[in-house]
Amino acid sequence: MDSTSPSRSGRGAGDDRRPGPLDRYAAERATGALRGPAGCVYLHQGAVYCVECPTAPGVGARLATAGRVPPERWRHAESAAGAHHRGGQFLLQQGWLTRGELEVCQLSALLDAACFVLAQEAGATSFARGDAHWLGVIRPVDAAALLAAVARRQAQLDRLDAWSAADGAPVVPIPPEHPGPPDRPPLTGRQRRLLAHADGERTPGELAHALGHSAFLTLLEVRRLAAAGRVRLPPPAALPRRRPGAVPHQRRARDTAADAPVWHLPDPGALETTDPDVALLVRLRTALEENL
Amino acid sequence: MPGIDQVLARAMGIPGVLGAGLTDWTSGLTLGTAGRAPHGDHDAAAADTAEVVQAVTRNATFDTAGGDGEPLEDLIITAGNSYHLIRLVPTAFDSQTCLHLWLDRTRANLAIARLRLRELAAELVTD
Repeated sequence: MDSTSPSRSGRGAGDDRRPGPLDRYAAERATGALRGPAGCVYLHQGAVYCVECPTAPGVGARLATAGRVPPERWRHAESAAGAHHRGGQFLLQQGWLTRGELEVCQLSALLDAACFVLAQEAGATSFARGDAHWLGVIRPVDAAALLAAVARRQAQLDRLDAWSAADGAPVVPIPPEHPGPPDRPPLTGRQRRLLAHADGERTPGELAHALGHSAFLTLLEVRRLAAAGRVRLPPPAALPRRRPGAVPHQRRARDTAADAPVWHLPDPGALETTDPDVALLVRLRTALEENL
Repeated sequence: MPGIDQVLARAMGIPGVLGAGLTDWTSGLTLGTAGRAPHGDHDAAAADTAEVVQAVTRNATFDTAGGDGEPLEDLIITAGNSYHLIRLVPTAFDSQTCLHLWLDRTRANLAIARLRLRELAAELVTD
C-alpha cells in the first residue's frame, strides 16, 4: 500500500525522455521547492507532494468552486498552518474536509499542475532546499510515475494537435442550426456543461478556473469539440488577410475602362471553418494571391 | 473518516478480492494499491484501467444518464477465472479517479462486490 514505490510506471510513454532537474532531485531524495518558468514542484525526500502552477486550478480553487470549503476558511487554514506546514492536518482537525477528500483533491490538483510545469521544455530552474508548502505532505507521488502520467496525458493532447489553435482562444460554440458537418456526434455531459459556460469570451484556461475543473481535461475537451465542429477555431493570424477583389494595377485600369464587373472572392476572414485542412488551404490561397 | 489506504484495506475485505487500486483515469497515475495486481504490476494495471475508462468516457454512447445521476458508475469485465470491477469515484469537486478490484471468480459474488465497492467509493469522499 504505497504510492511512492519506484516501479515500472507506464509503458512507452516518456521512456526516451531526457532526464531533467526533477529526476536529479528525486534521485538525491531531496526535500525542497523546485521552481521553474511555469510553476513550482515541492519535494519531500525525493517524492512530489505538491505542484503549483497558475495555469491549473489549485486545491483551494477546486474546493471553493465546488462549494466544499469557502475561500475564507482556506485562507484561515493557510494562516494557521504554522512553521511546521500542517495546513492539511488543520483542515482535517476542523472537520472541514475528510481525509479521503483532501487526498483525492490534492492528488488531482498536483497532477493537473504537473502537466503544465513538467511538460515544458527545460527553462531556468532553481531549487530551494528545505522550502515547504503550507498544506504539508499529504500523499507524495513517485517522481518517475508522475512524469510517466504527464507523458500519457500529453500524448492525448498531441493526438489532437491539429486543433491546438483552440487552446488559447475564447471558446465560441457553433450553434446547432449553423451548417456544420452533416453527422455531428452527440456530446458527453462534460462537453455539454463546458459549452453551457462558454460565453464566447473566456479561453479554455479561464473556463477551467471559473469552474474549478481540470485545466488539462478542459483543453482536451475543447480540442475534441473543435475537431467535432462544435467550437470555432480562431482565424489564422500569421498571414495578412487578402483584400477582396484585389487585382494587379494594369488589369484594374483595363477592367475599369471596359466597365467590367469586379469579382469578389469570399473574404477568408469571413469564412467559418473548423477544419484545419480547409483553414490551411485558405491561408495558402491568401498567400498566393498576395503575390499575384 | 477514512483515507485512501483505509478504503483500499477495507476493499481487501470484500469476498474473493485479489487486489485493489485507486487510479487517476485520465493519466493512469497510481494513487494507491493493496493486495496483488495481474502479472504483479500495479502500475501497469493502473495504466491499462485508465485506458479502458477513457475509451468509455470519451464518447456519448455510454453517457445516457441525462441530467440525473452519475453519468457512469461501474465498468465490469469478466474473464475466465476473474472479474475486474471498476468504480468511478463521484466527488463534489472536479476529479477523475476510479477504484478497481481484481476478483477471484470462484470465490467472489459480483453483485455483492459491486455494492461494497459503491459504498467504499462513497466513504472515500464524503463525511
